Amino acid sequence: MNFKTVLIVYRKELLEMLRDKRTLFTTFILPLILYPLLFIGFGSLMSRQELVLEERGAQIALVDSVQTDISQSIIESIKDNMGFELIPYTKEAKILLDEGELQAIVSIADSTNSGGFSFYKVSVSFDSSKERNQLVYNKIKDSVSKSKDSSIASYLETKAIDPGIMDMIQVSSVDIASSQKKAGSFLGMFLPYLMIMMLVTGAAMVAGDLVAGEKERHTLETLLVSSAGRNELVIGKYLTVITVSMVNVVVNLFSMSFSMQYLLGSAAELGDFASIPIWGFLILLAAMIPLATLFAAILMSLSTFSRNLKEAGSYQPPVMIISMLLGMISFLPSVEINTLLSLVPVVNIALLFKAVLTNEFQWLHIFLTVGSTLILDVVAIWMTIKLFNTESVLFRTDDDTSLKNVRKEKRNLFNSFNGTVIYAILLALLYYLGQYLQKGDLLNGLIQTQVFLILIPPLLILQIFKLKPKEICRFKAPKLKEVALVPFIAISASVMVIMIMQVINMLFPFPEHYLEQMSSMFKMTDNIWIQLAVIALLPGICEEVLFRGFLIRFYEGYGKKAAVIISALLFAAFHLDPFRLLPTFLLGLLLGYLTLRSGSIVNSMLSHFINNAFALVISTFATSAWFKYIIRDSDTIHWWLLFPAAIIFVVSIVLFHKVT
Amino acid sequence: MIEVLELVKEFPKKDGTRFKAVDRVSFEARDGEIVCLLGVNGAGKTTTMRLLSTVFKPTYGTAKIQGYDIVTQPAKVRANLGFLSGDTGLYNRLRVHEFITYFGRLNGVPDAQIKSRMDEMAELLDMKDFIDRKIEFLSSGMKQKTSIVRSIIHDPPVMIFDEPTSGLDILTARNIISFIRDCKEKGKCVLFSTHIMREAERLADRIVLIHRGQILATGTLEEMRAETGQVDLDDIFVYFVNKSNTEEELQAHEF
Repeated sequence: MNFKTVLIVYRKELLEMLRDKRTLFTTFILPLILYPLLFIGFGSLMSRQELVLEERGAQIALVDSVQTDISQSIIESIKDNMGFELIPYTKEAKILLDEGELQAIVSIADSTNSGGFSFYKVSVSFDSSKERNQLVYNKIKDSVSKSKDSSIASYLETKAIDPGIMDMIQVSSVDIASSQKKAGSFLGMFLPYLMIMMLVTGAAMVAGDLVAGEKERHTLETLLVSSAGRNELVIGKYLTVITVSMVNVVVNLFSMSFSMQYLLGSAAELGDFASIPIWGFLILLAAMIPLATLFAAILMSLSTFSRNLKEAGSYQPPVMIISMLLGMISFLPSVEINTLLSLVPVVNIALLFKAVLTNEFQWLHIFLTVGSTLILDVVAIWMTIKLFNTESVLFRTDDDTSLKNVRKEKRNLFNSFNGTVIYAILLALLYYLGQYLQKGDLLNGLIQTQVFLILIPPLLILQIFKLKPKEICRFKAPKLKEVALVPFIAISASVMVIMIMQVINMLFPFPEHYLEQMSSMFKMTDNIWIQLAVIALLPGICEEVLFRGFLIRFYEGYGKKAAVIISALLFAAFHLDPFRLLPTFLLGLLLGYLTLRSGSIVNSMLSHFINNAFALVISTFATSAWFKYIIRDSDTIHWWLLFPAAIIFVVSIVLFHKVT
Repeated sequence: MIEVLELVKEFPKKDGTRFKAVDRVSFEARDGEIVCLLGVNGAGKTTTMRLLSTVFKPTYGTAKIQGYDIVTQPAKVRANLGFLSGDTGLYNRLRVHEFITYFGRLNGVPDAQIKSRMDEMAELLDMKDFIDRKIEFLSSGMKQKTSIVRSIIHDPPVMIFDEPTSGLDILTARNIISFIRDCKEKGKCVLFSTHIMREAERLADRIVLIHRGQILATGTLEEMRAETGQVDLDDIFVYFVNKSNTEEELQAHEF
């Protein structure tokens, strides 16, 4: 790759962006005028709020069922608030309160407690969803507490006690947080979210134009026949997207911080923005770069895939919504970055921001965040370059994906698009219906989930399209040699998968409730045979039909290897369990291989069954004496088992490969 | 010099079968010669050109441009190739000279050389008035001239024109025709595709007839007239198409 060429592409793209009035306006002009306007409005609104209350006053209905000096003093004290008007309580008061004509209903009652004192109960009804009423309520509360103090003081005086006794215990708080830290924790809530949004919008603005736009304007072919290489073109364009998105963030941040400092002033809480030193912002910007590269790569590959600008535009909202939702995690006050969360894209940056702003970050988290983002980034760039080298993508024409067409030509059903749609629907069903089914009776819920959500749908679809399940799902008797080898493969693989789980547990300890949930699966019933049927046999059949029988067919157009990998990914994601993502993926690879290699789904069914049964056996007999040899405590396996397992696995896979 | 050797390009169809857009195509074009790829729409002309310009990769076979293989040395091939088609788009937001400079640099031409070549071409094609203008404000004739300069800025020995006059008005098309002749005079090897018989008659030294991805005949106009006994290229073309259809039928009967 020639970086000079990359630079030529990069400079030309930037020049073109700078010539585009629309891009210029949204990147530079809009933020520069938007925030000042926004904050002028916001600031004046905030300071007006109090004034509004005093000008408009409040109407309060009053029930005084006591009519003593003390209740009178409470009423007087409420009346002292400027603009408060007290009216006697009528039957309609409740309706008026509902309609917002009244701001509150105050009723004063009394009773006598065991000590013989009479005491007063002031209850205030108000609609807290209206901000004005909330302010009125706060004022009433202050007034009541004032008259409470004075009433108690005068009572004490009659008993010849110094009212100073009321201050016997005082609470005073000493806030040790520096103003920087306070501002940090406040800004940490919304700043990451805002920056992520700016980053995505900035990247989306240009990414579509850079490839899909070139397709639409018929300039792409000219570019492809120049002597520049395709990866040089991709990288040049990709750097443009990163630059524009980062510029978008910088301009927005600058305008926002300027507006806050100068328009809101130091009186407002937001004014604390000023106490974050400039290098703090520089660190934040640096932390944004990996994320910018990721967004740029994702949006570039979508743009490359799209036929035209309109199509590219239609892929952007999902990316934005997902990153918005992930970025929103910074609004949750209790969530802090940990080792596991620093591997979740977008979420990790948002939380890392919070940690950096309050100066409570760990280098490990920074390392994991940047590292995992960069890995995803490389994958996405690689995909873009790959797409850029795929003729059918660069010169994509309209596909006829209508259902009518699919019915006419049955083979048309099995393309990756249809497969992904069906998978997405099933995943949604599993998430909503599966949870509902398993809520009450776990055992029956699991059976119903397996049968109705996993086994029936693929068979139903095959029925609708009049395809033979036996042929499509490879229901074929396996060779005896294969069946003989599968137990060795399955058990050794299970041991290794459990090892991987143990490693994951060491790195990212499973939360307590997660372990409980897992073990509840094994304690559904005392009957080991029923357990075996529900945990091992049923998934072995149903999940295999769905993934290795049905879904894998949709991706075989990309070649067998790709089909195995994609179906394993879908299989892993289907478990909706981040901790088991890697083990289930590896297992999915094995099962996909077994089916495609041997041409019989029975092999992967058997392997799946043995794997699940193995887990069940271990957790059930973990405490038995004869099991002590392989199991250390509870359900962790001895590490030394890894070596024989690996050897058996390799040998049996090689043999399997040979006999098939 | 272009040498095309048994070039095959298959596209997967939705029903899983494969469609041969280009089927064992072989021909050659020498330096200082204009070769015309003649065929109806969908005959495989554009696919052949895209294969030669390395935008597509061949399924089987290969071709050599100036001795460089399109499969193993695509970058070298592109550096020796100028490509122009009728619907070539331009970057509207760039100025004419920026646009030309961009492609000059992408093809590795030093800036000084780009400048001198651009000036020379601008003089020749009467482009001086609009060389500093933004492309979006140009007329279609001006745009076509800009594309011409773009395609030749790196002075490639081989020029490929894919339906260069399609969609152009008569005056603009004339510019292209004279440009193609010009390339020949400079000793370049020229391959151009068209479905307009008249154009082929006027320009081509040799004609390659392509139909349904296969080559029906190759030769000069005179050779083809002699072989078919027809004068008009239209008639010659129909003669060869009929002949290939009968051959196919005969083959079908044999089995």
